Amino acid sequence: MANTVVGSSIVIDGEISGEEPLTILGTVKGKIAVTQNVTVEPGATVEADVEGQTVTVSGKVTGNVTAREKLELRADSKMVGNAKAPRIVVADGATFKGNVDMDV
Amino acid sequence: MASEDPCFIGNKTTVRGQVSGKQDVVVEGRIEGHVSLQSQLTIEESGSVEADVEAAVATLKGEVRGPVVATRSAVLHATARVAGKVKAPSITIEDGARFSGEIDMDVELPAGLAPGNA
Repeated sequence: MANTVVGSSIVIDGEISGEEPLTILGTVKGKIAVTQNVTVEPGATVEADVEGQTVTVSGKVTGNVTAREKLELRADSKMVGNAKAPRIVVADGATFKGNVDMDV
Repeated sequence: MASEDPCFIGNKTTVRGQVSGKQDVVVEGRIEGHVSLQSQLTIEESGSVEADVEAAVATLKGEVRGPVVATRSAVLHATARVAGKVKAPSITIEDGARFSGEIDMDVELPAGLAPGNA
């Protein structure tokens, strides 16, 4: 159970840091910096700069996202901010506004 | 509103800032700041919380520093190490728990026993 989950009714205003996977169903404002994967589930709201290994977005993200491995914007996701990752996948139906930097 | 999805702070995670919500939260990691829940907060043995805590039910098994206010009850389990004020209508301290601070159960004393009325 080495996994952190922010439940759907939970609001965190501040900073989350750690060395284990993070799943967000609720709201996080501020900053997220983890060494493992970050998953923003449908219905979740993130207003924060996000740093993770693989970042998978199905909900809403406002902020700059840096993924060390991969950023995946799933269908119905909404992202406003700059994306930096060596691999970036944007699914059909995803909404995205921002710069993309694949470090080419 | 029953919490179907759990909220869980793992033992390698630190949250700094304000945590609020309506569902149960289990902490094996660290929280610094302010916690305000209308539900149950459980600090597991590996958990460490340095925060103003408000919850309906506070179950403390780990390290807690800061005022804890529970609207229903607070339980300090045998493994708990707590410093600060604990306020709740019902407070349990198990044998083995370490606590330093103030307990407030909001007791209504008979007029003759009220402090300052001696």
